[in-house]
Amino acid sequence: MSDLLQYIITGLTTGSIYAIVALGFVTIYSVSKVINLAQGEFVMLGGMLMYSLLASGVPYLVSILLTIPIVTIMGVLLERTVIRPAKGADALSLIILTIGASIFVRGLASMIWGKSPKKVEPFTNNDPIQFAGASITPQSIWVMLVMLLVVAVLYFLVEKTVIGKGFQACSANSLAARLLGISPAKMSMFSFGLSAAIGAIAGMAISPILFPSYDMGLMLGVKGFSAAIFGGLGSSPGAVVGGLVLGLIESLGAGYISSGLKEAIAFTVVLIVLLVRPSGILGEKSVGKGGL
Amino acid sequence: MFKQNKTWLGYFAFVALVLILPLVVTKSYYISIATFAGIYTIVAVGLGLLMGYAGQISLGQAAFFGIGAYTSAVLTTQFALNPWISLVFAMLLPAVLAYIMGHTMSRLSGYYLAMATLALGIIIHAVLVEWKSVTKGASGLYGIPKIELFGFAFKQGVSYYYLTWIIAAIVILITINIIHSRVGRALRSIHGSEIAANAMGVDTGKFKMNVFIYSAALAGLAGFLFTHMNYSINPSSFGLDASIQFVTMVVLGGMTSVWGAVLGAILVQLIKIFIHTLGEHIPFVTSEFEHVIFGAILMAVIIFMPKGLFPTIASLFGKKGHRQTAAEEVQG
Repeated sequence: MSDLLQYIITGLTTGSIYAIVALGFVTIYSVSKVINLAQGEFVMLGGMLMYSLLASGVPYLVSILLTIPIVTIMGVLLERTVIRPAKGADALSLIILTIGASIFVRGLASMIWGKSPKKVEPFTNNDPIQFAGASITPQSIWVMLVMLLVVAVLYFLVEKTVIGKGFQACSANSLAARLLGISPAKMSMFSFGLSAAIGAIAGMAISPILFPSYDMGLMLGVKGFSAAIFGGLGSSPGAVVGGLVLGLIESLGAGYISSGLKEAIAFTVVLIVLLVRPSGILGEKSVGKGGL
Repeated sequence: MFKQNKTWLGYFAFVALVLILPLVVTKSYYISIATFAGIYTIVAVGLGLLMGYAGQISLGQAAFFGIGAYTSAVLTTQFALNPWISLVFAMLLPAVLAYIMGHTMSRLSGYYLAMATLALGIIIHAVLVEWKSVTKGASGLYGIPKIELFGFAFKQGVSYYYLTWIIAAIVILITINIIHSRVGRALRSIHGSEIAANAMGVDTGKFKMNVFIYSAALAGLAGFLFTHMNYSINPSSFGLDASIQFVTMVVLGGMTSVWGAVLGAILVQLIKIFIHTLGEHIPFVTSEFEHVIFGAILMAVIIFMPKGLFPTIASLFGKKGHRQTAAEEVQG
């Protein structure tokens, strides 16, 4: 019983990160119809920059406040220099484009930071808390809180602000949005910046638990992508549910079956669910069959 | 008719070039790289047909490549089967898996398919690492026998180069024939517009499935050749990176032509030689630098020449070239 609780805690922690990455996918996808497989690289950059800033003596809070805008700028740069020039390319080409960006960033990261995983100090004192026979580290609680915070901020931004209305307008019909004076190009840039920012936040939150290394991005991107599709592509609540469920399957699979096969188990479940229900758990949101 | 003749002229020129190469280039390192180019050509031709003609993406082609390689390796080392018999299974198993996946493919398309093939690649790689009783885990299998024909053993080197490229040439020939047939026209109609193709009476699901199976069988064949070229294999050759590299080959060369895939497979090997040579002189050029280069190539090709290198070069050959590529688009 305490084993089960322990696996659930671990699953919810990693699941929260998948959920944030999946939200990044949905944010970009709903506005620009691009599947950004480089999304995981933002998480990696968040963790790595945090490490570098801390290592060079910058105070903890300042490091956090510096990392977010730097990664955000990188996201905007990605949109301006790589995605926008390829405008009009088909969906297949756009996926390949972002894979290219992903391995490019990964290669650069390995040249800058080397190949060994980096150790980052936790947000607060990290003595595990005993709870009904299981132990939970304060950092895990932080990760879950960060996820909830990201969800709340995104909800507020999209539902309650003017920018959010523009976002929704571009997502529903970008031509009509242009007629009303909303620039889909600007919104697309904004969505990349926003995704990069939440990716960086996820990276900083998880790095004390999962020591960041140059090659963590692609796999995180793939998992975020499957979480987004698992939950129903284009739906934000779906992304959160998909991420958490994926994390839970992975940790239960690792605990009860085999830790080496945890990813294989998680992806097998995703594939089976998609076979039974091709539009994901919560159903996709007006994007058509796979967006193609 | 003229066009057909020209295709065969190009084909025989290419075969002649392949036959002459070992007479000009003798360094064993280059010969083995050229052999790898032949092996990857086989994968790229199948993937190119899938991406360029059936309009489907596979981000998990290394899974089929790995299944082919491991099937043959396990059958020949643990069951002492003749490699020629294991070849049948090395092509059959990926094809059967593709058939099962294909059933899902008729329901999954677009991003869902990209995700499903990505997932397949990761699952197969994990199974290769974890199924230790059969695959011997991360350290891999040793003592893989050589392929023999009438008592002659193909060892890594010139003889294996010829074996690989003769098979690759046959694969190219068959694929060109498929493209020029009724099937090829049906496939192009699917790529153009699936709905229109359906309305014209093309059974789109069946064609897409058959191409997927064909590409998987070819990847299995390439895996077979890869296994028996080496003394040992391990799962690291069949991960996500390998799948991405196969896609790079097809995108770089151009996915709307068989020659594009061939060119892409060869170019990727040339780039590797280039980086390797550079690395001997400049310290910061490591194997990871390869990622930077391949990432940059993928982005540049999609942005600046979305059709890939081969069609772009072909259209540069003046008016005549233009007419030919235009004709190719119409009748392939």
